Amino acid sequence: MLDGIFTGLQTAIIPTNLFMVVLGCFVGTFIGMLPGLGPVSAIALMIPITYGIDPSSGIILMAGVYYGAIFGGSTSSILINAPGCSGTVVTAFDGYPMAARGEAGKALALAAYASFSGGTISAIFLLLAAPMLAHVSLSFQSADYFALMVLGLSAVAAFSGKGQILKALIMTVFGLMLSTVGTDRATGVERFTFGSIDLLDGISFLLLAMATFALAEAMMSVLERVDEGAETQDMSKLGSMKLSAEEVKEVAPTVGRSSVLGFLVGVLPGAGATIAAFLAYGVDRNLARGKKKEEFGSGSLRGLAAPESANNAASSGSFVPLLTLGIPGSGTTAIMLGALISYGIQPGPRLFLDNPEVFWSVIISMYFGNVVLLILNLPLIPYISRLLIIPKPILIPMILLFSITGVYLVSFNSMDILIMVGICALAIFLRLLTFPMAPLLLGFILGGMMEDNLRRALLINDDSLSFLWERPITLTIMLITILVLVAPLFQKTLKRLFHVESSPEGLTID
Amino acid sequence: MAITKERIGALFFLLLSIIYGYLASGIKLYPGDELDPMTARTLPLVLSGLGIAFSLILLATGKHEEHRGNVFALNWKPVILLMLLSLGYGFALDWLGFLISTTLFLMAGFRILGEKSVKKIVLVAVPFVFIFWFGLTQMLDIYLASGRIFGGA
Repeated sequence: MLDGIFTGLQTAIIPTNLFMVVLGCFVGTFIGMLPGLGPVSAIALMIPITYGIDPSSGIILMAGVYYGAIFGGSTSSILINAPGCSGTVVTAFDGYPMAARGEAGKALALAAYASFSGGTISAIFLLLAAPMLAHVSLSFQSADYFALMVLGLSAVAAFSGKGQILKALIMTVFGLMLSTVGTDRATGVERFTFGSIDLLDGISFLLLAMATFALAEAMMSVLERVDEGAETQDMSKLGSMKLSAEEVKEVAPTVGRSSVLGFLVGVLPGAGATIAAFLAYGVDRNLARGKKKEEFGSGSLRGLAAPESANNAASSGSFVPLLTLGIPGSGTTAIMLGALISYGIQPGPRLFLDNPEVFWSVIISMYFGNVVLLILNLPLIPYISRLLIIPKPILIPMILLFSITGVYLVSFNSMDILIMVGICALAIFLRLLTFPMAPLLLGFILGGMMEDNLRRALLINDDSLSFLWERPITLTIMLITILVLVAPLFQKTLKRLFHVESSPEGLTID
Repeated sequence: MAITKERIGALFFLLLSIIYGYLASGIKLYPGDELDPMTARTLPLVLSGLGIAFSLILLATGKHEEHRGNVFALNWKPVILLMLLSLGYGFALDWLGFLISTTLFLMAGFRILGEKSVKKIVLVAVPFVFIFWFGLTQMLDIYLASGRIFGGA
């Protein structure tokens, strides 16, 4: 493992990659701050840029954008009570009341320290857990991978919140359907191409990601007038950023607890930063006593530290299934998987052996990312947040331009822009009907791999599906899948146990 | 049965799954493919079945959701205009080239979203597009053809 860490360090500390971490954190923070645009859009906008650079640098840049976006989301939650992404909705519960009573600086500092601690703790866990899991998963066969993919897709639906499970399942199936467009990789037969040459290679992953997230989210923010009426904080009067020793002592156990919880939730396929933040908040409020408990919701330090540690820890945790099994657990990691595949790198247990520099440099750069967020982004928040005052009529067309040219500059086919606008219109229609988009992307990305693994498993097992119950690993994964799908039936009991509040939009997957 | 957002979505997916299934049954197979455990048709047919099943369940169980505001009260006009603008940009890129079409796209986008000052529109769009174009062509070495009307490819 030490060799691996050194390999990762060697790759991560080359100036280009250090620059990528810094750039990723800055860009992520800025995009994350914009209400309506989440980490998925932020990463999608980065993909075209990463095509021209080394895969390690590309994935480091995207990882930097990921936690930068989460951090930026917290900033807008605290300053303007408008969470930049679903993972930071809980941050606003106590962060905004603190800002409203003139402690914006303290709230931002606490959010940054809690994020840093959560990120650090989970980076250490990731360092230990990922190689172990990668070793174990080397014994996995096609049947197990097929089962794992079914588990990943089911979990995304199961964790998608009250009233959303069926919709998430439908969107997953829709994503799988879209993945079948093009030439079948095994037989060479054309499927759903309607004779069009443009569809022979299937629908571009980048096009789908941009159309359903970056473009659609920008359009939705115009449609719903997202930030109109948001109460803005005077950026020049953030107040002191210092925390007293007593305050640090008060939040330290919360940070530790929430980080561990966040990491564990992040590792689960389907659960992500949003669920981690809600759970950590619920657990800590449950553990608080007397006056401290009453403070939750009106500017509690613990109420701010818990979700901030958890969402950052979960962001790192979600890399475990991606790097070790090649199974993304969220929309964000799904988009990263798509990008890695387009670089010619197949995440999974072989990544650990075939591309150790990518595997380890991502883990190491995560830590660097946390340091960058703390020592560079925090002091610069008053300046970065001024970007929020760029008028929407100027900002939105620029985001549209980046989304469209991002796709066009890869294919140089203007037909892609027309397809993109069509998919974006469909995505807006589905968003208005409250259908989640992340399962669509996940289904689309996993569809091809799922079909390949199922085909291989059937060939190995003499055309029989008996591998589903005869192979112990496959059977265990299938049983977990069933458990995950029935778990929502016990949602009420779990909620009562953790006192989790639902966001107005339900628990959306990030 | 009340018409709710869920039921509209369910109906849409039911129709989509049926059409998808119909098209899937028409996927051509090579001779002997039918002997394989899994053909090019297998997964699409399974997906069509799952889509139909899930849509029917949603159609049957879709509850009347809380009032989330009137869809018609949303800010549709600029969104539709921006969509049309994006489509126009797709056509213009080939004909007018990157610099002119992108400048026009941005200026029209600013205007659609309510920016009234022509001076501001021009002063933001033109330098921005030039810097963007310079970055792409000179720094990232990306070739951007001039439009067809200028004799470009």
